[in-house]
Amino acid sequence: MIDLDLGAPLDRHRATVQKEWIDWNGHMNVGYYVVAFDKATDVLCEQFGCSWDYTRLKIGMTFVLEAHVTYDREVKEGDPLRITTQILDHDAKRIHYMHLMYHGSEGYLAATNELMLMNIDYESRRSAPWPEWAMPRIEKMAALHAKLPRPEQAGRLIGIKRK
Amino acid sequence: MLVTLPYEMPELVTTAPIDIHRSTVLPEWVDWNGHMNVAFYVLAFDQASGAFMRNMGLGRNYVDSKSGMTFVLETHVTYDREMRGGAPMRFTTQLLARDTKRVHLFHEMFHAEQGYLAATNETMVMNIDYATRRSASWPVQAAERLEAIWATHKDLPRPAKAGRVMGLPLSSRAQRRI
Repeated sequence: MIDLDLGAPLDRHRATVQKEWIDWNGHMNVGYYVVAFDKATDVLCEQFGCSWDYTRLKIGMTFVLEAHVTYDREVKEGDPLRITTQILDHDAKRIHYMHLMYHGSEGYLAATNELMLMNIDYESRRSAPWPEWAMPRIEKMAALHAKLPRPEQAGRLIGIKRK
Repeated sequence: MLVTLPYEMPELVTTAPIDIHRSTVLPEWVDWNGHMNVAFYVLAFDQASGAFMRNMGLGRNYVDSKSGMTFVLETHVTYDREMRGGAPMRFTTQLLARDTKRVHLFHEMFHAEQGYLAATNETMVMNIDYATRRSASWPVQAAERLEAIWATHKDLPRPAKAGRVMGLPLSSRAQRRI
């Protein structure tokens, strides 16, 4: 297993906006923001040994239960992306966390993605507690991330304010 | 505000909810867990939003004629059941609220043959001026169509999964702190 990244937030994932992610409005399509964010989730899970090898070896899987995205600014083809990740909460089988996507060179916030992720037993495809090797790592990261301010976009409710 | 759009309006559907969009889970949408990946639920829902916008008269030709665009501001998905490659999808769409430049939509995705609810998507879409790429009021024709849809949707019950705020259940959090 890789050395645990003690940075808070986790600041490891980088990507580039692909040509096929662009829609007829000339910017990254809403679905592909989530493609990019989901890769950052893989990077998070890698920290506690529940990423590709976890599924490839038929040990377990992780499923997203719920996701909330705010689209803050447009990004275009070829733009570099930097995604940071903060754990907000966790329990025996879930992690509640948030990704922030920045334009990699201009630095502006492009989008946020709040997620609830659940550990899944490979055989039954049902929820199961995090494996014993994962839990201490999750707890260590969560403790470090708990010192960060809560992102203002966390816990949002969608609605039109009545005037 | 745009008064007329330089193309013909499609026939208006005002059923409540709107139940017109159908799609299929493409093989390239399936991830290493053997099911439709989370991002492609969002893509599939975005196409359902596209169908709603088309019904308002704001489909592809709205952009191609350089009249305007629509941007999603925010979206919330609940993943309720897995969908495998090739699964047929049926979408229903309820208009929850609207103002002069935004629509607040609620989509439900069903497995079209087995009937189960696969996911829900609450989303906010804004009208955008083509030249400035900034928010603008709906074109008059689109606003009229929106009012006709609102008239049939405003009395629908609010979906149970609308207006969700994410978090772990209190019981689970209490347990963890013991």
